[in-house]
Amino acid sequence: MKSCRVPGRGRVDASRPVTFTFDGRRYGGVAGDTVASALLANGVHLMGRSFKYHRPRGPVSAGSEEPNALVGTRRGPGRFEPNTRATVQEIWDGLEVTSQNRFPSLSFDLGAVNDAGYMLFSAGFYYKTFMWPRGFWDKVYEPFIRRAAGLGASPTEEDPDSYASRNLHCDVLIVGAGPAGLAAARAAAVEGLRVVLVDENAEAGGTLLSEPHLQIDGRPVWDWLASELSVLKALGVRIMTRTTAIGYYHQNMVGLVEKLTDHLPALPADTPRERLWRVRAGWVVLAQGAIEKPLVFNGNDRPGVMLAGAAQTYLNRYGVRVGDRPVVLTSHDSAWFAAFDLQGAGARVQAIVDTRPSVREDLLHEARALGIPVKLGHTATASSGRLRVKSLRVNPVQGGRVGAPVTIACDAVLMSGGWTPSLHLFSHTQGKLAWDEEQTTFLPAETREDCVIAGAGRGLWGVQAALEDGAARGRGVAAALGKDSTARAPRVQGDRTGTGITQIELPTDLNAGRAKAFVDYQNDVTAKDLRLAVREGMHSIEHVKRYTTNGMATDQGKLSNINGLNIAADALGRPQPQVGLTTFRPPYTPTTFGALANYHRGDHFELTRKTPIDAWAEAQGAAFEPVGQWRRAWYFPRPGEDMEAAVRRECAAVRGSVGIFDASTLGKIEVVGPDAVTFMERMYTNPWAKLGVGRCRYGLLLGDDGFIRDDGVIGRLAPDRFHVTTTTGGAARVLNMMEDYLQTEWPDLNVWLTSTTEQWSTVALNGPNAAKLLAPLVEGVDLTEEAFPHMSCAECTVAGLPARLFRVSFTGEIGFEVNVPSPMAMQLWERLWQEGQRYGITAYGTETMHVLRAEKGYIIVGQDTDGTVTPYDAGMGWAVGKSKPDFVGKRGLARPDLVAKNRRHLVGLLTQDGSRLEEGAQIVFDPDQPIPMTMVGHVTSSYHSEAVGQPIALALVEGGQDRMGQTVHIPMPDRTIAATITGTVFVDPENTRLKI
Amino acid sequence: MNKLVSSFTAAPLPQGAVARVSLAAPVARLVLRARGDLAALNAALGVTLPSVVGHRAGAGEIEVLCLGPDEWMLHLPPGQVGAVSASCAALMGSHPHSLVDVSGREVTLEIDGPRAAELLTLGCARDVEAIPVGQGRRTAFDNVTVILWRDGPAAFRLDVWNSFAPHVAGLLETGCRELAAEAA
Repeated sequence: MKSCRVPGRGRVDASRPVTFTFDGRRYGGVAGDTVASALLANGVHLMGRSFKYHRPRGPVSAGSEEPNALVGTRRGPGRFEPNTRATVQEIWDGLEVTSQNRFPSLSFDLGAVNDAGYMLFSAGFYYKTFMWPRGFWDKVYEPFIRRAAGLGASPTEEDPDSYASRNLHCDVLIVGAGPAGLAAARAAAVEGLRVVLVDENAEAGGTLLSEPHLQIDGRPVWDWLASELSVLKALGVRIMTRTTAIGYYHQNMVGLVEKLTDHLPALPADTPRERLWRVRAGWVVLAQGAIEKPLVFNGNDRPGVMLAGAAQTYLNRYGVRVGDRPVVLTSHDSAWFAAFDLQGAGARVQAIVDTRPSVREDLLHEARALGIPVKLGHTATASSGRLRVKSLRVNPVQGGRVGAPVTIACDAVLMSGGWTPSLHLFSHTQGKLAWDEEQTTFLPAETREDCVIAGAGRGLWGVQAALEDGAARGRGVAAALGKDSTARAPRVQGDRTGTGITQIELPTDLNAGRAKAFVDYQNDVTAKDLRLAVREGMHSIEHVKRYTTNGMATDQGKLSNINGLNIAADALGRPQPQVGLTTFRPPYTPTTFGALANYHRGDHFELTRKTPIDAWAEAQGAAFEPVGQWRRAWYFPRPGEDMEAAVRRECAAVRGSVGIFDASTLGKIEVVGPDAVTFMERMYTNPWAKLGVGRCRYGLLLGDDGFIRDDGVIGRLAPDRFHVTTTTGGAARVLNMMEDYLQTEWPDLNVWLTSTTEQWSTVALNGPNAAKLLAPLVEGVDLTEEAFPHMSCAECTVAGLPARLFRVSFTGEIGFEVNVPSPMAMQLWERLWQEGQRYGITAYGTETMHVLRAEKGYIIVGQDTDGTVTPYDAGMGWAVGKSKPDFVGKRGLARPDLVAKNRRHLVGLLTQDGSRLEEGAQIVFDPDQPIPMTMVGHVTSSYHSEAVGQPIALALVEGGQDRMGQTVHIPMPDRTIAATITGTVFVDPENTRLKI
Repeated sequence: MNKLVSSFTAAPLPQGAVARVSLAAPVARLVLRARGDLAALNAALGVTLPSVVGHRAGAGEIEVLCLGPDEWMLHLPPGQVGAVSASCAALMGSHPHSLVDVSGREVTLEIDGPRAAELLTLGCARDVEAIPVGQGRRTAFDNVTVILWRDGPAAFRLDVWNSFAPHVAGLLETGCRELAAEAA
């Protein structure tokens, strides 16, 4: 294997060899290499196949903008990542790298037949090709597209890595640690300012890492860089490398993803793979630099064709010569320096081909001195070489005419079409862009955020200019933060400044309609595709983008957007600002789902609230169901019981003797103050003024639209103190709604709200033996019909614990709810369990609770109501205090639609064949009407009922209260079920069972 | 007498060289809501209620944090709840207010160690470092409402409702391990 490593060059550590595999073959690199630099050092340019045409591709860049060299990386089971950029991934001993989008092998790929058929796959081909025959879509086209689409293979194993997240506050966040960012950090690093400097690369320095010939303040640039970094650290600047600013959000919140372990040969314990940082910065300095533009010409995608700046980076930072006989093809001065650097590193540069008719004399002089042939005013019209470029065909251009071709043999083509300021993060702020005619590019203009741009990111060229601009911007943000900074930029010697011109696709003497001149490498979009899109009527860049997919790949058009715009503008004959630039969206580079989810996976995936009784229920083998954030015991199966059997047994136990139920999740709000009763009168539909102390009442809460929002039993503990309960899921919402009214509508009321949901745990006892079981344990209240009738409440002692005792029933049986401070709940539960054994006490879950309440026609808000049900619809007009001057929802209830006849009413349903209806099933009056039928309601609750002897259901039915005894029909997939409309109370309508 | 035994029984709380989490001893907690002239309540409580949100005051064994323009959290020994409640109740007619016992509602996690503040950044979006020592904030930790007391540069308390405590403690434990590995 040929080595392309240049001894003595680069920042890699040649004394520390590293071995990795690519497609199963072992390769050697050195510490500091990326996958791309190590493979290039081994003479390997071919690293992938393109998306659509499966064309052989090699790296075109040396950074995160890479569109071609996307690989799979693997570190043992579960640790596989597709589409990793080989130009970013650092190598370590044992790293497994695989190429993608090829079968059976990278060098021989069957999918490459698409390349021969490229005329079929032009812009918008999927809109045209797959239109007909219609029947082909499901069977042929879609499966084919699904198989062909997408790059890389999705991981199938669970990711064993952990991911993390932190919040970070700072005064100044600087994105990009190149010369502008470094100078900005130095200037902002004054006493009292927290400065954070981030860079996506493994080390800070940016372009300085690729320009070792520079001298800064009279010192070799890398010496200066090392000491500058230690000075910054000493000044308290937090420098974060391998950290990408992925998105710029509102009010200077910037998301960062820090890669912590992807470069390490061994994974340290307790260390996450990546960490998401949510940074809130006083000021943000964007110093992201500029990205080099490819030139668009026929065959500009062969392995070995790469950006000139990338070749310079491979040489100067990694010590790798990307070609022995390169051709430089450029429209910008910067590539000339790449030629000089490579020539100086032992390459024989075959020619510098510049599209400009004339260039600076000093460049020509240096080329002559180095013996490099120069061709000015030339175009490139083709290249050759299947798996690596072999030659470049160039032609002189004079007066717009393309002359006779010359073919130059080569092993690399180093191109430069100039540079594009990196505007991605600025664009996330919805900042305005300004078109710069001279540089033919967009530059950042105004933004609403406290954000400034420094250096090449705003079109400045050269290290000196970047340092000076960075320092000035750093001083500026320090001043904006009230600090005085006097930092000045250091002096640079050997700075290579330059200019260039912007090209659309290069002129050619060949058939432009057959040219494979790529604009978007990753999505295989050519100049011809863009022109076709314009011809077919796409006149906005947003349409051109979607029709051609230009810039829609995972690189977000970092290389292609500006070339695409220039070509589209040319085709339209309009200036670029009128065609527009597509919007950049976060994330800046592809981001793992792991980083976004970070801690929220496994046990920590979602918050799960548990009551103090939960552990007991779990030990009893309860099945659980989620209710809001809570998990609640659903039913308590005995060995061999399924849900239906367990619920039947639990229901029978409650109706037959006594059941115990954990109602701790009920929301509780303490309403206190002299105006408490006034507040309750205004908030709930019911009247409260005459509710005595020690009594409780079912309360109904509406929205101002008149629809039911919540309900619960409310006890009056003192003239100025109410114990309000809400539904489990409604607790927070109801408290917020009440606070909202109190603070905005009735600030004059002397009443305050305190959440006591978790202060009190609630244990419910229900059944004919409930009072018998409880009475001996209660001190301070006689549990008799006379002393403590149904709907009473009292503060007392239960089982020796301070308690709030409510006599309420959600089952139709004698019922009590015992509230004790949560830390004492288990003690109460165990005592009741123990004392209840003589009555065969049975623990029941939410399902049994649902059945028992449905048998009594008690509604569950959110199940039997859906936000469109009034108290009258629900048959609960009795709960509305009609003589009250006002309450929330009173006006809403008077709206014409809410008083209209034929609203959907809550009714009972009994099926005529004794089958159980499905909750959610739609109801019709006439089963023989043509489809689509007129639906007149739906089933809201449906259960087997032992007490009734057949299944029961609650349903909302149009005009239901006026249709008692009528038959409705419930069409199901296999049959239509007939049911009779009944009242909602199925068991003990006289409430005789409530009596002790 | 029934002691307030916490129902929060997370696995052993994390102990690390750089940050530690422990469960504080039970304490009585009262939520006070009031407005207007607070002099009478100050006298009844034996402590001057701070009027700036986030500020704290203390007298004897009673500690109070202002949570809102008309809202305070009081921590005091369980034995004093009766007396404090009674003296406040006597003022209801002349100085309307609300005093609610929430002793059983929440637990307090103590967090200390050189990187305690950084540990809190795992879940706190607010600038923890910027909270002055001796103040407190009602804020959110990993989407859970908490009250954060800063007792020293590297000493915090976190009041969390019972049912949220295991979730909060779980993340703190992960964070303690993460920070310890970072420091190693």
